[in-house]
Amino acid sequence: MARLVDMLVSAVLLAGLYATMAYGLGLIYGVLRVVNLAHGGVIMAGAYLSWYLHEQLGLDPYLSIPVVFGASFALGVVLYQGLVRRLPRGAAGGPASLLLLFGVWLVLRNIAYLLFTGNDQVLRTAASSQSVAVLGSHVAVNRLVVLGIAAAIGVLLHLLLRRTQVGRAIRAVAQNADSCTLVGIDVNRIYALSFGIGTGLAGVAGVLLATIFSFNPSSGSSELLKSFVVVVLGGLGSIYGVALAALIVAVVEVFAIYVLPSYLTAAVGFILLVLVLVLRPGGLFGQRVLS
Amino acid sequence: MTARVVAMAARRTGGALLAACVILAVLPAVLELSSYTHNQLTLLFITISGALAWNWMGGFVGQVSFGHAAMFGVGGFVAGRLMLSLHLPPPVCWVGGAAAASIFALGGHPLLRLRGPYFSIATIGVGEASRVIFTYWERFTGGSSGLSLPIDADLKYRLYWWALVLAGCMAAASVAIRRSSFGLKLLAIKADADAAADVGISATFYQDLIFVLSAAVIGLSSGLYASYQSYIEPADMFGFERSIAFVLMAVIGGVGTALGPVLGAVVFVLVRLYLLSSRPDLYLGLYGGLLILIILFEPLGLTGLYRRGQRWVRRASGQAPGGAP
Amino acid sequence: MTLLATRGLTKRFGGLCALDGVDLELGEREILGVIGPNGAGKTTLFSLIAGSIRPTSGEIVLDGQRVTGRPAHLCVRAGIVRTHQIVRPFGNLTVFENVLVAAMHLRRTAASHARDRAAEVLDFVGLADRRGQYPATLTLAGRKRLELARALSTGPRVLLLDEVVAGINPTEALAFTALIRRVRDERGISVIMTEHVMPAVMSLSDRIFVLDRGKPIAQGTPQEVVANPLVVTAYLGTSAGEGAAP
Repeated sequence: MARLVDMLVSAVLLAGLYATMAYGLGLIYGVLRVVNLAHGGVIMAGAYLSWYLHEQLGLDPYLSIPVVFGASFALGVVLYQGLVRRLPRGAAGGPASLLLLFGVWLVLRNIAYLLFTGNDQVLRTAASSQSVAVLGSHVAVNRLVVLGIAAAIGVLLHLLLRRTQVGRAIRAVAQNADSCTLVGIDVNRIYALSFGIGTGLAGVAGVLLATIFSFNPSSGSSELLKSFVVVVLGGLGSIYGVALAALIVAVVEVFAIYVLPSYLTAAVGFILLVLVLVLRPGGLFGQRVLS
Repeated sequence: MTARVVAMAARRTGGALLAACVILAVLPAVLELSSYTHNQLTLLFITISGALAWNWMGGFVGQVSFGHAAMFGVGGFVAGRLMLSLHLPPPVCWVGGAAAASIFALGGHPLLRLRGPYFSIATIGVGEASRVIFTYWERFTGGSSGLSLPIDADLKYRLYWWALVLAGCMAAASVAIRRSSFGLKLLAIKADADAAADVGISATFYQDLIFVLSAAVIGLSSGLYASYQSYIEPADMFGFERSIAFVLMAVIGGVGTALGPVLGAVVFVLVRLYLLSSRPDLYLGLYGGLLILIILFEPLGLTGLYRRGQRWVRRASGQAPGGAP
Repeated sequence: MTLLATRGLTKRFGGLCALDGVDLELGEREILGVIGPNGAGKTTLFSLIAGSIRPTSGEIVLDGQRVTGRPAHLCVRAGIVRTHQIVRPFGNLTVFENVLVAAMHLRRTAASHARDRAAEVLDFVGLADRRGQYPATLTLAGRKRLELARALSTGPRVLLLDEVVAGINPTEALAFTALIRRVRDERGISVIMTEHVMPAVMSLSDRIFVLDRGKPIAQGTPQEVVANPLVVTAYLGTSAGEGAAP
């Protein structure tokens, strides 16, 4: 029983990370209809950036979040304006955008490899070694902080999308980009903004990831898969849907790791994908994923 | 295009293909190639077959797979195991590899119901999961140490012609499929699977079919590869780099064209040889950069450049340009 | 002689009942118009008959054979084909290839036979001079003709036209109307058409079937239906004969 509580607590903490990862992928997909295959690469880049700032400047990773967000945001805007924007209209989601962003991912991997070598890195702070008792189980403080930050991000995102002018414009463009030009919304600017926020969130997710797990330039596929599963499950309509889906995914993963032989844990992301597709192909909120 | 024009074009391409194969077949005798060149050509032929097979899925029917290494690995290791444990003659083992890869593809049937990007992401998962699982499955793949197959220098020498025949058949098959009603249906499914169903084309059936065919060829080429290398390991066979290679070859040569991947494979192999000797740590970035450039500027890769050149020549000589954009 | 019939056809999407117990009959060489306010279930009805979606309950019978629940491609083989409200041509194929691929659905069709059929159909709809072009270069009216040609190319017995005249100018609409009449007269194909453009539906249909919120509320000749008070009320008091559907 105590084990069960342990696992559930673990899952809740993990869910925060997964939700943050998913927001980034989901925002870009919801607004531009493009699946950002470089998502995992940006997460990895965010992890490295905060690690680097910590190693070189002694900057606390949690404090580096705004910096990493800014850098990842800028990266996203550049990617959009320089590359994604040049895709022919209607290529969104098609093989062209997939291959393009896949290429970006490869480049990001190579840059990380050149700058930091292929070794695993990890971000250790004071928070990493401390633990606290929650519901009778020992919980590492760093994971708790991640959950807190993730929750804050969720709230901020919600406020952005629902309470600001820009947020309304983003939601409008996601619904019907053509009509938006008719009412004077600069759709291209919104696309760039959304792509930037999407990658910004991915970068921040990378920071959070770095404080909990080790990472190397090849990291990213499993994060991409999990983000993808969460988005499919949770839908694009609500922040809470994504948060709930992230929780479900985290719970399944924690239990899967408990049940599966150790060598399969790396394949958990894919196993989750299979489960989602088999059990709930329409997503929790019924988007059309299948033909 | 009337049927007669199509048939004539087909015969011309077929003739050119046959001529190329004949020339390549007698090349070793005529030119007295060094064993290095001989072997590199063997490897090239094997690679060409794989690239063409990937293109059937990614280019013809539009299901871009980032996890084709999974089928390559399955085929190669089954072939290797058949050789090691059952001592069957290599060609039988290769067919065994092809069969295994096809069965694997049939198992992946649920994946085919996914639309475009969802399918692609799922294949990333398949590739990764396969690598992990098969690396662990030591009894089958030998784990990280891999499998050592009996070395047969004579076979390795003759592999040149085995691989050439395979590549030639695959090239011919590519052309044939692309120009047939089968190919047309695949293109329709690629454009709009639902609308294709609405005019009587069962997307599921054709997607399954091309998936199995692609897998069979990959499995076959992987068997030859295993015989060529005499040593195979999961990290290489199931690796992400291998999956990327398939994608890149097709994109460089021309995704969706009948013979583009042949060009793409040649360029890719040359680039990789150069990189391995001078800047091996840049290959990912170079591949990524190539993908980006090609997608943005000439989505049909080298074939696209060639066609642009053709149109330019035609326009310069005063003829009206052809119908297709 | 009844060619196609539905009995108690019902479709529920979760809690929403899109279609409730629809009994419909289509005779040979007949044009049946299906009308109703927005949300009446017209497109759902089409999707059910054409096999795009499966009914919750009820039956669809074609020429005595039950075809209920067959997927789209099998419905086409049986002889039922649909066009789409928003045209969906195969952008990567030429006009001719679009029509050709539809003629090939029978696996035993000889290639030359399919080519002949495609050429004939293109001629019929008036797109023969555009056979080498890509759909993106056609006007909307042209693409609608292509959509029709593609459907005809499958050799159907029942053709479902989903708002085929919507969005094109009156001259084109008139030409289209004539084309549809020829489909029935010259090719012996029965047509079910749904339309908001009232003049087209009224002039073309042999009979009209009225849906409102998933339920059939009237059927009969155009004159009978127009005079039916239930129909008038369903359209919120607007006279259906003046083409002012919401």
